[in-house]
Amino acid sequence: MARAQTLTIGDTIAKSFVLAGEQRATRTALREKQFGIWKSVSWRQWLEKSKAIAYALDASGFRPGDVASILSNTKAEWVYADMGVLCAGGVACGIYPTDAAKQVEYLLVDSGSKVIFVEDDEQLDKVLMVRKRCPQLQAIVVDDMEGLSGFSDPMVTSLANFIARGQEHMAGREQLWQQMLDARRLEDLAVLVYTSGTTGPPKGAMHANKSVLAQMRHADVLFPITDDEERLLFLPLCHVAERIGGYYYSVATGSVMNFAESPETVPDNIREVQPTAFLAVPRIWEKFYSATMIALKDATRFEQWAYRTAIGIGYRMAEHRLAGTSPAPLLRLANMLAYWLVLRNVRKMLGVDRCRMLYTGAAPISPDLIKWYLALGLNMYEVYGQTENCGVATSMRPERIKLGTVGQSVPWGEVKISPAGEILLKGDFLLMGYLNKPERTAETIDQDGWLHTGDIGSLDAEGFLRVTDRMRDIIITAGGKNITPSEIENQLKFSPYISDAIVIGDRRPYLTCLVMIDQENVEKFAQDHSVPFTNYASLTRAKAVQDLIWGEIAKVNADLARVEGIKRFHLIEQQLTPEDEELTPTMKLKRAFVNQKYANEIDMMYRNREAA
Amino acid sequence: MPGDASTADAILKVANIESYYGPIMAIRGVSLEVPRGKIVTVLGANGAGKTTVLKTISGVLDPQKGSIELDGKPIERLNPDRIVRLGLSHVPEGREVFPFLTVAENLKMGAYLRHDRDGVAQDLERIYDYFPILKARLNQAAGHLSGGEQQMLSISRALMNRPKLLLLDEPSLGLSPLLVKEIFAIIRRINADEGVSILLVEQNAKMALEVADYGYVLEVGRIVMADACERLIKSHDVQEFYLGAKQSGARGERRWKKKKTWR
Repeated sequence: MARAQTLTIGDTIAKSFVLAGEQRATRTALREKQFGIWKSVSWRQWLEKSKAIAYALDASGFRPGDVASILSNTKAEWVYADMGVLCAGGVACGIYPTDAAKQVEYLLVDSGSKVIFVEDDEQLDKVLMVRKRCPQLQAIVVDDMEGLSGFSDPMVTSLANFIARGQEHMAGREQLWQQMLDARRLEDLAVLVYTSGTTGPPKGAMHANKSVLAQMRHADVLFPITDDEERLLFLPLCHVAERIGGYYYSVATGSVMNFAESPETVPDNIREVQPTAFLAVPRIWEKFYSATMIALKDATRFEQWAYRTAIGIGYRMAEHRLAGTSPAPLLRLANMLAYWLVLRNVRKMLGVDRCRMLYTGAAPISPDLIKWYLALGLNMYEVYGQTENCGVATSMRPERIKLGTVGQSVPWGEVKISPAGEILLKGDFLLMGYLNKPERTAETIDQDGWLHTGDIGSLDAEGFLRVTDRMRDIIITAGGKNITPSEIENQLKFSPYISDAIVIGDRRPYLTCLVMIDQENVEKFAQDHSVPFTNYASLTRAKAVQDLIWGEIAKVNADLARVEGIKRFHLIEQQLTPEDEELTPTMKLKRAFVNQKYANEIDMMYRNREAA
Repeated sequence: MPGDASTADAILKVANIESYYGPIMAIRGVSLEVPRGKIVTVLGANGAGKTTVLKTISGVLDPQKGSIELDGKPIERLNPDRIVRLGLSHVPEGREVFPFLTVAENLKMGAYLRHDRDGVAQDLERIYDYFPILKARLNQAAGHLSGGEQQMLSISRALMNRPKLLLLDEPSLGLSPLLVKEIFAIIRRINADEGVSILLVEQNAKMALEVADYGYVLEVGRIVMADACERLIKSHDVQEFYLGAKQSGARGERRWKKKKTWR
């Protein structure tokens, strides 16, 4: 039987990790897939690796307070390097592996990184391309040396050699380990997290040990943690959600971290791992939902009937749960049958059958989608937070779910609404400031220590926070009506055929939207309805697809007030990848950038209106 | 082209075909068109489904779904022999000449459906004009010909049917660079002189893009790119993945491949 787990927390992140490594010793810390087989690494093995990295950093002249960057996908070596840097008293800074060389240069220079850990030759090339403009950079450590056997450069070492150098350096310097660990204190800078920068250059949020620990030490306050937790890590670790929610929480709680092979294999990996808790962004939850809907279309009539009946019972249970009332015994019985006969299969197919908690955050989500997961009998909790507060600021609780809100303030922080309607946060979890940008820091944290989030929202009598939108995203139409685009966009994204949408209409007579279609599902639709298409662009231009999307928009329009209805739309014809500037690394469309890039298409939607 | 303004005069229209080998879905919804009198090429890596597309068109395989129109007539449910009668000749991959028959007999087999002796005789003369070497080898068993000669024979045999549309499956397979050039020059001539529309499947992307008017790129049973050949040649992904252009990185070489975006 699973037992409650005690947290391992020290004065710093590094000390918490060392404590975890010593206490949990031979227990599994993380798993990685190698040649198709999941391999385990124990806490002690991880500790030894990171310790060697810390010594190697010292041997290369890296001193406490220096910055090291990590340019890699989410994998075990990311956390080896991160803890190595922190144990050496350094500051760890993550760089998105999808960033172009130019951005890598900006981040290396802005952070003043002395060392960079890179994943492979692809990432190495970016650094080599820009290193002459990064004078502080002294060493490059490469994890995967494939294709680099003939390459030699005084600045570049393999991770294996780097670790070996650290082990040599250890001999006779036992006391150095404690010195490095003691070099940093609670108030000292530990982690740099760059905000994705939807406007302007990225800002480096400086987090001290204090703010990270403020989150870590409360990892079990809202949700009970047992000693058999399994998690799947797949979001970029440079993003605060996975870094805190997936990684540092696991260090505190002893959850096993399973690293997904790649972002594309997440659906397979989650089925293999069957995690007990799963943190994901709405995009993933939408994908799961639409995968189920599409699979159902190919199912037999009986299967469809079974699903409809079962989920209907599930929805009634969910209503009780939301209302806080207790369901009648008959409904309970029906729900048990529905689970064992039908819904369990859906949950297994998705890989979340064992999940005790599902978290969604980092972007707004449609309440209907949460309800669906509740109807499956899963506990989905929406959380709200920012890079600036190092993770979660408000969260739904098991006792009470109020849809349309992001829950109540966590007990270790405070939330209030400014007179202008802006959401303000306070607590130990706040950032120290933005690196090299004192004026931006001053704009963000006021004299009383409140963080200005830039989000508009409201608090109800019970303290549930409702987030309306980003302040600068609020649309005021030419008619003077205030519109919050994200609400409409979330409804649109709920459609299996729409991957993302951006509503436009600021100082315009009516609303329009740019839509990014869900390629897989729209292709399937085209095939099922014999709509000829060749490539992505021709798919978006097909009349039947245009009609399909318009139908989905019309459904959303029906729920909106008349003024808010979307009058015209445009499908983005280019298939976008995270390397494209239109998307953030988490595959969200960047509003400001998209508005600029598609200015012509947007103008077209406001010309000769009669054609609409 | 499909999806865009569909060409009015297309000799072949393929829409949404899906083909299976047992449980394996080889073609996952392919739509393409061959305008009358044009050369259209389908590029793709091994296993992309190029040959399967041709086999599905010529009736060797039946599509599970989708429609194929030859000159306005639906042919997706017809047997191969019916399709040949409608004016479609398929030159299969690996030539597949009848090895124990002579060159002359092979050519006669190509004209099996025809009864106009004069026309056949004329066509034979034309073929000897394209491929003088065949005339010299008329009485040899086709199995004794060299690879290039067999390819010429295979194309000639298909032409003897006087097709409106010729399906060519990797005519350059296993031929020396010089012979490849020669074969492609003749393909172009056949197209220009006889007005035969051609659907060409090729691994030799460079040659195919030079000779064809329009091209499709096929990846795991799906079309990812469709454009005029002069534009395809300029596309970064086609250059990198099909024409072997190396973008050099900071180290002077680059092993990793960037993600394909097909634009």
